[in-house]
Amino acid sequence: MNLLLNPKSNLQLLFNKLYMKKFKLFLIGILLTSSFTMFAQQTIKGVVKEKTTGQPLPGVSIIVKGTTTGTQTDFDGNFSLDKVKTGDILLFQYLGFANKEITIGTNFNITVQLDESAEQLDEIIVVGYGTTTVKDATGSVEAITAKEMTKGNIVTAENLISGRVAGVNITTSGAPGSGSEIRIRGGSSLGASNDPLIVIDGLPLSGVDLNSINPNDIESFSVLKDASATAIYGARGANGVIIITTKKGRTEYSLDYDYQVGFGEIKDRISVFDGDSFRQLVNQRMPSMANLLGSANTNWQDEVLQESVSTQHNLSVRGQIFGFIPTRLSVNFSEIEGNILTSQFDRNTVSLSMNPSFFDDHLKVSLNYNRAFVIERFADAGQINAALRYDPTQPVYDSTSPFGSFYQHITRTPGGVLVDNGTRNPVAALLQNDNRSNRFRQFGNLKIDYKLHFLPEVTASVSAGFDQSVQDGTFFSPLTSPANYTDLFIGGEGEYTNESLNENFNATLNYINTFGKWKTDVMVGYDYQSFDGNGNSSGNIRNPNDVGFTSYVNTPVVLVGFLARTNLTFNEKYLLTLNYRRDGTSRFGPANRWGNFGGAALAWRMSDEDFLKDSKVISELKLRASYGVNGQQDGIPGDLYLDRYRFGNQNSQYLFGGTPIQSTIPSPRSSLKWENTATFELGVDYGLFDNRISGSLNVYQKNSTDLLANVAVADGSNFTNRVTQNIGDLRVNGVEFAVNSDIIKTEDLNWNINFNSAFLKREIVDLGADQDILIGGIAGGTGRTVQLYREGFAPFSFFQYKQLYDAYGAPIEGAYVDLNGDGNIDSSDLAIIGNPLPDFTFGFQSNFNYKNFDFAFNLRASVGNYLYNNVNSSLAQYDLIQDNAVLGNIPTSVLNTNFNTTSDVIVSDIYLENASFLRMDNITLGYTFDRPIKKFASNSIRLWAGMQNVFTITNYTGLDPELGTGGIDNTNYPRPRTILVGANIKF
Amino acid sequence: MKKIIKIEKIVMLFLILMVGLASCTKDLDITPQDDQDLLGEDFFTNDVAYKELLAGVYANLSLTGVDGPGSSFIQGLDAGTSQFGRVLLYLQTLSADQMIWSYENDPGTREIQRNIWNADDPILLGMFGRTHATIAFANNFLRETTADKLAEKNVSDATKNEIVTYRAEARLLRALSYYYMMDLFGQANFTTENDAINAQPIAYNRQQLFDYIESELLAIEGDLSEPMAVEHGRASKGVAWMILAKIYLNAEVYIGEPKYTEALDNCKKIIAGGYSLATNYLHNFMADNNTNSAANEIIFPLISDGTYVQNYGPTTVMINGSVGSIETNGAALGVSAGGWGGALRLRKEFVELFDASIFNADTRNTIISEGRSREITDISDQDQGFILEKYSNANSTGGFGVDQTFVDTDFPLFRLADVYLMYAEAHLRGGSGANPTDLVNYINQLRTRANNPQDNLTISDITLDFIIDERARELHWEAHRRQDLIRFGRYTGGNYNWVWKGNGTNGISLPDFRKIYPIPAASLAINPSLTQNDGY
Repeated sequence: MNLLLNPKSNLQLLFNKLYMKKFKLFLIGILLTSSFTMFAQQTIKGVVKEKTTGQPLPGVSIIVKGTTTGTQTDFDGNFSLDKVKTGDILLFQYLGFANKEITIGTNFNITVQLDESAEQLDEIIVVGYGTTTVKDATGSVEAITAKEMTKGNIVTAENLISGRVAGVNITTSGAPGSGSEIRIRGGSSLGASNDPLIVIDGLPLSGVDLNSINPNDIESFSVLKDASATAIYGARGANGVIIITTKKGRTEYSLDYDYQVGFGEIKDRISVFDGDSFRQLVNQRMPSMANLLGSANTNWQDEVLQESVSTQHNLSVRGQIFGFIPTRLSVNFSEIEGNILTSQFDRNTVSLSMNPSFFDDHLKVSLNYNRAFVIERFADAGQINAALRYDPTQPVYDSTSPFGSFYQHITRTPGGVLVDNGTRNPVAALLQNDNRSNRFRQFGNLKIDYKLHFLPEVTASVSAGFDQSVQDGTFFSPLTSPANYTDLFIGGEGEYTNESLNENFNATLNYINTFGKWKTDVMVGYDYQSFDGNGNSSGNIRNPNDVGFTSYVNTPVVLVGFLARTNLTFNEKYLLTLNYRRDGTSRFGPANRWGNFGGAALAWRMSDEDFLKDSKVISELKLRASYGVNGQQDGIPGDLYLDRYRFGNQNSQYLFGGTPIQSTIPSPRSSLKWENTATFELGVDYGLFDNRISGSLNVYQKNSTDLLANVAVADGSNFTNRVTQNIGDLRVNGVEFAVNSDIIKTEDLNWNINFNSAFLKREIVDLGADQDILIGGIAGGTGRTVQLYREGFAPFSFFQYKQLYDAYGAPIEGAYVDLNGDGNIDSSDLAIIGNPLPDFTFGFQSNFNYKNFDFAFNLRASVGNYLYNNVNSSLAQYDLIQDNAVLGNIPTSVLNTNFNTTSDVIVSDIYLENASFLRMDNITLGYTFDRPIKKFASNSIRLWAGMQNVFTITNYTGLDPELGTGGIDNTNYPRPRTILVGANIKF
Repeated sequence: MKKIIKIEKIVMLFLILMVGLASCTKDLDITPQDDQDLLGEDFFTNDVAYKELLAGVYANLSLTGVDGPGSSFIQGLDAGTSQFGRVLLYLQTLSADQMIWSYENDPGTREIQRNIWNADDPILLGMFGRTHATIAFANNFLRETTADKLAEKNVSDATKNEIVTYRAEARLLRALSYYYMMDLFGQANFTTENDAINAQPIAYNRQQLFDYIESELLAIEGDLSEPMAVEHGRASKGVAWMILAKIYLNAEVYIGEPKYTEALDNCKKIIAGGYSLATNYLHNFMADNNTNSAANEIIFPLISDGTYVQNYGPTTVMINGSVGSIETNGAALGVSAGGWGGALRLRKEFVELFDASIFNADTRNTIISEGRSREITDISDQDQGFILEKYSNANSTGGFGVDQTFVDTDFPLFRLADVYLMYAEAHLRGGSGANPTDLVNYINQLRTRANNPQDNLTISDITLDFIIDERARELHWEAHRRQDLIRFGRYTGGNYNWVWKGNGTNGISLPDFRKIYPIPAASLAINPSLTQNDGY
């Protein structure tokens, strides 16, 4: 008699137990519920191994098909399952491997081999509010598990999938632990957020800040790209969704220790004049200032950059505690030194995961809790520009200097004082400014799944989670620091705090059943999330005229969603998914608050049809079509519909009769509604030669309407000249292609490659009043812009003058093509030339194993992306040899242009460069020692070495073709090349 | 049958869940939590709110935002580039023959000072946006202070009485804004308190604006405070008369009709209002010009304060900017020694007005020439050209303003000396009702105050040619010059060229259309009822 069929009696039995036995026995009872419900039969034993390597597989789930009876393999791959009988079917499941069914015959001691072929149809994919399998997926969903993740010097989690997924671009600066810009299919918004939604174990995050998450804790990523997959996230899925699943507890004990050490160095320099050639240059071009020249030869870039040593320790333990709680505990200690002087990022994290099940797996509890402490010292990357600029004929130190023995320019007059304007010693700026922050972040959630006893087809789930971050920062500079003239010999001291809290609650009901050839999976749910933030700053407490104490409290944001999904499968060949979600946001007024979103997807598993079933070539072929609508409300002010007034702060009052009065102004008003993104997509998933070659091809179009953007409003009709409004339409067209191939697959030798490519075109279709919106502020002129939004062109298109060249090909300073032929060069002669978004991106990974050796590398390429070289445009002109009242160095690229005056040339397209590149992100080589310690049944040590940022091939003349902010390369933290050595020990 | 029961159970469970959760949708009604923010319903519970709201309208002439000098709610440009007084200075003074800005890569400055601006110039956007914001704030004040609204909020009778004056002041500031729009752009978006927020405004042309400004100022005259009888910083009848005097004096330019008699009438009203010249010319331009003898001369100041009213406005710019690159004379002016490294210098045509020896000791002559060339052949070379030391952050009684960047010096938007010169000019242009004795006396008072030995001019000495030069000597760098030159027919055309006029090193003729500025492209695009001015 089965528990499911007669729940009442079994529950009674259970309660009897509860009263009769001790608590501990009760727990054992729960775990062994099956023993009360099964007829006594035989016990089957066995071992589960990986087919190619013969390695035992721990943690494989084994259940008797059609029942809830099951177990897991231990660390040596062994399992034992009581009370089975001949004819029972055992189902073996393991993430990343094909499911396998074995019918029990007469042999009750079996060896099972699981196959980890490249594309596994039964591989479980985590999707929004649930899971599916590769076979049943109807949308563009890509799952990346641990073994497919990008390797190398990974500090922030998102870099694990860098270059791995077609249409996903991740750019990270060189600052240790810095966040990334993540774009899935280029982003569908203009003025609202283009960040994807990131969900960790069911908890949606605010923003994409993953640097307090230990990458080692991550089990898998699911990247949801098309609207049928993202529509279940309704308001938040328009820019794609990345679902992160962390590693969970297991019943068997295991211990993993990872260590890696990295040696980083920034090899490249921007070429500027050295001391001797600078002396020559000044004597030649600005002899009147030659008296300011010093005798030193200082390479200031060398002085502000440093070689770095970084270490990471990861320790994780898994096992069952109290006999019934599978648990995983991990700790991470990272000490990452930056490559700009004083820059440091230290992170300690603790992650706890507990996953007990009760009542014969009817009740599953999953608890995830993470704590992270991030201690940073920030180095101002702007000092790289100061290093380019600083007079190379001056020394770093000067024992007579009143500024902490650092050389600083002082005036020419006798008894000179500090020169007020002009660049300051960048080494002093770094060493004398101590800006630190301690950030504490804790996040996690508790999820309870209950498969109803009286209705086992229905699972009810509730999940409650939170994400809290508290940052305390301090800044300090000594009295001798001349950072700011008005603070001269005052120094700087102050502190600030920033706090944010994000709370989430969601609940779902899921109904799964099979009616003949029909399989249904229906889910309804509810999601609530709130976001709060506040902070304050003391200002510079040493300076009485500083702004002083200020504080802020963010307007809260609340999102509420009701959701529903149906998956219908007929004959395992025809698949239909329907999604619906109704979202409400506090960012919009009551009249426009609610939006309806949803999607539909159809898939046809053509390879299961008779005419393909026996094909030797085509092993898998699935056609997909989907359409869906997502909403967007993120990244904009949340209170524009309210009748608000704002007081001036302490420096923004007014005086009536000499007495301060708190001047108050009405705040801008706008009645906003949802921005919608509709996506239409066609796709093919294919597998050839028994899935030795597999992949997908997607073609899509995204149309965003009612774009939220901050644009002009008729002057005098509002309390500003620009306010967020629903304007215009944006279209994204794209094609994505991926192929994964097991080129060689033998017992000893495996070679797997993965290639992905994406074509992407974004275009502004409509911009409301048909007006250009100038964007892209640059250094070298307050408020000067070089980009725009214009109908018919990509967002962030460059908008510059076309340089004229003389007969010898040399550029003529300040001479541009007179596009409208009116004889004048003015803003009507600016031309649209390129944009920062690449036309094509490519990713390539290679994983090679021979016996115990493993070798992997990763390549990325980007074609058609333009970058404005703001370093050259704002610095490479001869006039800048005079840096206010002192001398300043300039890039040697001035020798190519011979330009004199910045303002004459700064908007020239000569500074706009094609930044296409091919880059090898990393390369690693490892060797694994099996069972080096014979005492233990199973253990391994892997030793490895690698390199990060191996090479970049590009025609771009700046430091890094990838590090422009929105297409403008000015002061960015350069990325080091890092040599890595590591060890991975498992017990 | 069994299945149906199951489905009912599911539906029941779902409904219970939904009812429980629907209550959470109330959380979508949020309120701002920052302590600088208030909802209107909470703000107006206190009577002092009305004065604070009025202060907000005034403050828009000095501040660019409520969160310090770097903040601005006029977007698309640097905060300082939309500070009202500063952009007014750029458009009235930098665009003429008195001033040069060294850092031409600051957007818009090059085009303004070389008279080659177009509709994309951010300085124009700053002026258009900022001034219309004052109009919107004034309209909001008037909307929130109707008799009905005040009754609804239970405002006390005493406050209600004060609000009568406040409303007149809000209308005055709105009229002032329309006056500058009429002068600079010849058009404006016309909105009043009767228009809803975000309603598409109609455009008014120069004639319509003239008529509206005139009728508004006449209508509110009775409700405004008497001159000198209101807190410093607020506007009295004197300001209304001043705007009237200005629009009448320039009426031929604006509407093609002479109104010099009306100009004279209003000058007389101001003079009779009790204002008097500061004892020292330079008192008008010092850190304590709100309390020293200039308080009697300045009819309307734009307030600046190193602690409470920090801004990148005209006085902060002119004091920091006039520190010489060679002299590093900032300490004497109450700012950092290097200031802004020689941002501002003088064009030679202005310098020449002080060449005669009688101006050597004239206190209005604050030119520093030693070690400098008079010519500016390279605008980016801060060592070329003479510099000026007119404005300072020093107190008349010794000591300096509290901050070394943000000065305490108020900008004298209107002052009595201007009225004296307008009085004479209106008479010379055919206005009737001037007293010749008073006229000569007013001009000579300015000379005497300036320590100028030639302070006994006679009526025959006082010609229009004399007036335009004397206005330059008295009122330079006070945002009047472009308007004056246009009225004298010397701005466009080629009869008077100054260095860099029309982008010629020695100046070239300007086409007539440059007498008014183009409507900023962004503003034009969003309001189709505006039409671009001819020539742009």
